[in-house]
Amino acid sequence: MDEAFERRLPKREDLNAMTEASLKAAFAGESQAAEKYMVFAEQAEEEGFPNIAKLFRAISFAETRHARNHLRVMKGINSTADNLAVAFAGESFEIDEMYPAYGEIAKAQKNAQASRSIKYAVKAEMDHKWMYSEAREKAVDGKDIAAQPVSVCLICGHTVIGDVPDKCPVCAAAKEYYRTF
Amino acid sequence: MSDPFKNTPPAPEDKGAMTAENIAAAVAGESQASQKYLAFADVADVESYPNVARLFRAVAYAESMHARNHLSVLGKIGTTTENLKAAWGGETFEIDEMYPAYDAVAKLQENKSAQTSIRYALKAEMDHQGIYDSTLKGVEGDKDLGAEPVRVCPICGHTVIGDAPDECPQCGTAGSYFKEF
Repeated sequence: MDEAFERRLPKREDLNAMTEASLKAAFAGESQAAEKYMVFAEQAEEEGFPNIAKLFRAISFAETRHARNHLRVMKGINSTADNLAVAFAGESFEIDEMYPAYGEIAKAQKNAQASRSIKYAVKAEMDHKWMYSEAREKAVDGKDIAAQPVSVCLICGHTVIGDVPDKCPVCAAAKEYYRTF
Repeated sequence: MSDPFKNTPPAPEDKGAMTAENIAAAVAGESQASQKYLAFADVADVESYPNVARLFRAVAYAESMHARNHLSVLGKIGTTTENLKAAWGGETFEIDEMYPAYDAVAKLQENKSAQTSIRYALKAEMDHQGIYDSTLKGVEGDKDLGAEPVRVCPICGHTVIGDAPDECPQCGTAGSYFKEF
């Protein structure tokens, strides 16, 4: 990203409360559209529509640009050390409050699939929380983390630094199901 | 993929209304986390933390898997025809209602950057609505989209099928910056 590129992005702004509420809602909408379109792309691929799959991925990327623009205006994009602190807090909230509450209700209502989807997420958020915590400690000292691969189970989102297990400890998917970054 | 450890995402489930509401909120949370982490990854790259950038991208991918699982539980992943209709419906809502309302508030409050971010999004959603509409007509006749590239402006999300313009008509970014799918 060079300077000429940066300059064209919408700028950070002191927002009035109602405009901020609007942009927050727009950020939520764009984020969900981007995720949905990625899922729709996989479905199109399975149905033998590779070009529609490509279209969904392209438009998902466009929605990602909108989400970033809105977030930037709201001053939600800061230094890496600060971003890691925000990421850590988000994971902590999901682990400590959000998913336990949702998990209780899903159990009470005997929603087995919802319970599974919640369990997969909360387990992975625990991985993320400590990874962000360690990365933040480094980043505040101006240091990057080590250059090890980070791999993600494409069924449950289990996230591991270093070697991939033979099977996912959370959902038992085989190691071929991991995507490495 | 080796069979003993095969797994699939959680299945659709139609039961408790409270659980459905929670899972919908979880889709919103996971989608926003994923989009935030992608934006944070770009910052980490600019700040020369390539490994933190990689961590953010991996965790963003994990959150995408959670969003997909929750969407699956909600029964929101349909056939490509249904998905294109849902996508078209979402774009239409944003064009007809959401962004015009938000824009009116941002104008009233003289929040200029917010107006820019809203305008960029609204213009691109119009591209998307048109493209989804014509694509849907093709799929209803069992035809895939043509194989031409889809190009997206990395600043404003302007989306074109075929060649990139010399300059983005919405935000003036050079066509060479467009991302090709």
